[in-house]
Amino acid sequence: MNIVVLLKQVPDTETKIRIGAGGKSIDTSDIKWIISPYDEYAVEAALRLQDSAGAKVTILSMGPERVVESIRTALAMGADHGVLVDDPASEGSDGLGKAKVLAAALGSMDFDLIFCGHRAVDDDENQVGIMVAELMSLPHLGLAVSIEVADGKVTIQRPIEGAKVTLEGTLPALVTFGGAHAIWNPRYASLPGIMKAKKKPLETKTLADLGLSAADVGAQGAKVKVTSMELPAERQAGRKLEGDTGEKAKELVRLLHEEAKVI
Amino acid sequence: MQPGHFPANILFFLIFIAANGFFLFTVYRLYRIMRLGQPEDRFDHIGERLEGVATFVFGQRRVIREPSGWGHFFIFWGFVIITIGSIETFGVGIYHGFAYWKFLGKGLTSLLYLLQDLFCAAVIVALGVALYRRFVVRPERLKYEDQKAVNQDASIIIALILLLIVLLFGARATEYLLAQGEPGRYFPRLAFISVGCSYLFSALTAESLRAWYSFFWWGHTMVILGFLIYIPFSKHLHLLGAIPNVFFRRLGSVGALRKMDLEDETAETYGVSTIEEFTWKQLLDLYACTECGRCSDNCPATLTGKPLSPKLTIHRLKEHLQVKGKMLIAQQGSAEIPAGNPEDEKAKVLIGDICRHDELWSCTTCGNCVEHCPVFIEHIDKYVDMRRYLVLMESSFPAEVQNVMRNWETNSNPWGLGFATRGDWAKGLAVKTLAEDSHVEYLFYVGCGGSFDERAKKISSAMVALLNEAGVSFAILGAEEKCCGETARRIGNEYLFQTMAVELVEIINSYGVKKIITTCPHGYNCLKNEYPQFGGEWEVYHHNEVLAQLLGDGLLQTKLPLDKHLVFHDSCYLGRYNSVYDQPRKVIKSIPGLRFSEMDRSRNKSFCCGAGGGRMWMEETLGDRKINDARTEQALTLKPDIIGVSCPFCTTMFEDGLKERNMEEQVRVYDLAELLVRTINPGKK
Repeated sequence: MNIVVLLKQVPDTETKIRIGAGGKSIDTSDIKWIISPYDEYAVEAALRLQDSAGAKVTILSMGPERVVESIRTALAMGADHGVLVDDPASEGSDGLGKAKVLAAALGSMDFDLIFCGHRAVDDDENQVGIMVAELMSLPHLGLAVSIEVADGKVTIQRPIEGAKVTLEGTLPALVTFGGAHAIWNPRYASLPGIMKAKKKPLETKTLADLGLSAADVGAQGAKVKVTSMELPAERQAGRKLEGDTGEKAKELVRLLHEEAKVI
Repeated sequence: MQPGHFPANILFFLIFIAANGFFLFTVYRLYRIMRLGQPEDRFDHIGERLEGVATFVFGQRRVIREPSGWGHFFIFWGFVIITIGSIETFGVGIYHGFAYWKFLGKGLTSLLYLLQDLFCAAVIVALGVALYRRFVVRPERLKYEDQKAVNQDASIIIALILLLIVLLFGARATEYLLAQGEPGRYFPRLAFISVGCSYLFSALTAESLRAWYSFFWWGHTMVILGFLIYIPFSKHLHLLGAIPNVFFRRLGSVGALRKMDLEDETAETYGVSTIEEFTWKQLLDLYACTECGRCSDNCPATLTGKPLSPKLTIHRLKEHLQVKGKMLIAQQGSAEIPAGNPEDEKAKVLIGDICRHDELWSCTTCGNCVEHCPVFIEHIDKYVDMRRYLVLMESSFPAEVQNVMRNWETNSNPWGLGFATRGDWAKGLAVKTLAEDSHVEYLFYVGCGGSFDERAKKISSAMVALLNEAGVSFAILGAEEKCCGETARRIGNEYLFQTMAVELVEIINSYGVKKIITTCPHGYNCLKNEYPQFGGEWEVYHHNEVLAQLLGDGLLQTKLPLDKHLVFHDSCYLGRYNSVYDQPRKVIKSIPGLRFSEMDRSRNKSFCCGAGGGRMWMEETLGDRKINDARTEQALTLKPDIIGVSCPFCTTMFEDGLKERNMEEQVRVYDLAELLVRTINPGKK
């Protein structure tokens, strides 16, 4: 069984986000990058199938050189091999553009299953996994919190309001992962794992290698464009009202009326 | 069979050689087993090592820290003195005319005999006390799982010693009487106990006297030789293990863990998962153990009912080593595989069967076991080495730790707060960063607690105010600062620690820093004692040392009185790890009006707050109570208004302990810097 995990590198969730020059993207300097947590669940799910059924696990990602570190992290966890599409022309892709690049890369790969997080925690678009399935005409099973593979079929459970629904699809298929850290608890790489990861194969590809032109993807090909970006207003510090209860109540009403304008 | 006459002397000689041969053979086997361990260099500073032997073996310095140790003192010296006498006794066995007085003169011999008499008597008293302790008092520390075997071993030893002394007195008494009648024989009258005993035999004829003397002499020497054979198989193995163990003890700081070689591409495994992966010194530790139980008597984990007891760890490791060691030796050579079921022992897993997982994770690395071990056994390194295996090879650790390790990796702090906000605590304070001005005397290395924890930030602020007040030239790293990795190392994640250490050394050295101040004893110990392993060679000071110095130099002057009662908690990594005991007390005593009481467990006996060794980041679910609760209770027995601390982690543990008891209003926890700043700067709360 071959599993390809689509992995996105995103800024750590604790990052102090700054808007970049031009106001349409974030400033990526001085950011600590991590594997998007849902993609990490996908890696863990794939590795569990590696443990139980001997699946071969390939990590596929796109982005600049720095993404190598995240791929190596997944290789250290136990994945077998990595592919990175590193081409400046793919920068600024919208969800569809990214899906096209990944689908093109997948076109030349052997797989029974494609895994990825149901969304990336940076732009939260919930698009790429589904679009890849669509572009490749694969069944899509979304938001898995458990997975089993047997007899050419993949079975997942997905939570719905107050219950779980079980879905089954025929291979090859694409599964996106939901749930939480407590469910997937991605493994911590062992030291031998880290050592081995340094020597595991990691290919780098360009758009040309995939038979794509810059016009198809990237900022040029994007159908959805970011027009502007702004940070939320900084939260004001709390204020403590002084005086006896009557005075405080009066003051509170005045502030709610005059300053907050909610009453 | 009069001793020393033909053919008794030949017989004795043969028995003597056989017994010694057997003894040497068993010792050699023990040596080979020890050498199964990994290499470790402990041959530096020979002079200091010998001095240690003089102090701690012959001076029994650590043994006599406790009253029961005086019993050992007399048994030990009794043993030494009796052994000196034994040379003469054995000499007589070869040639009946052999006698010390012929070489040493009658005066010196008299003195020696008197000494022997006195120590023999003292040993008898000490053995009585030992029996009383073991079988009547039965203190917790002498309890083992295999109590019967342990007690039996102890009883045999006590009985043998008692027997050999009684027989010695018998031999002496009869020899005294025989010497009276025979010219050319001499027995000093000064040995008054032996002489006194002779009254028991005064009615006997010379003939029966000789027979009795013969009986006592043979009995005495045979018991000694039997004892010699028994030693390596009993807990008296410490007789052989303790002296070299004191000699090879860790010198300098006890606080530095061994640096692992992670660059070695040929290494197949990391950390320790089999007994022979310990170093030879760690195995020698096992031979040295006397099963006195002082380690467990002082262990915060043991005392709060956790599955960890250092004495049991060492005891189990020793038993395992003896059996598995023989197996391995047998496999190396052509020797027979020992009888019994050694395969069972070999199949036992070090981590799991001999040491339990939850036992390893219960250790707070507080160092009380190491501090109180009379023979310098290093328990903590063993726990950490096994943790290293679990973390590095198996990724096995308490589940809650994983998140913390990721937080270190991503944001270089255990909470996972954004690394870019590390310097935010200092906003609005009069403090520069090294990037702004690197021409300062000190780097104030704030650490994770002082940078991110709301409570500990107040300690950092207080320290800034004090340093400014005293006119000290210092700066911080601000957002550039990184975690020192101390806790990651103690959890066993040496890989993560080394990555962090290399980064931090590079940053600090890029500013040419020479001196560092910390407010956290963990960072202090790590930077001071462990960073030299990574090229971080600085003078490192804990803020208590700095404050005591500034007070002494008159650069800080206390003004406002503080009419409160304070108890002070010695942090493990400040006190036991670095012997900083007097400086915090100096700070406390400088505050006018402040009344100070010492806790029962203070200074080197201080009881851990429960946060060390990575325990801060693990749930404390085992045992009958929490360690911080136990320590808070100890502090509260003195009815203080303030619990004084010098560590951000201790601060948290005590405040939590007080909250649990709804005492957080009546009793406050303050870092000494916070107290000092109040008495100096009236504006500060």
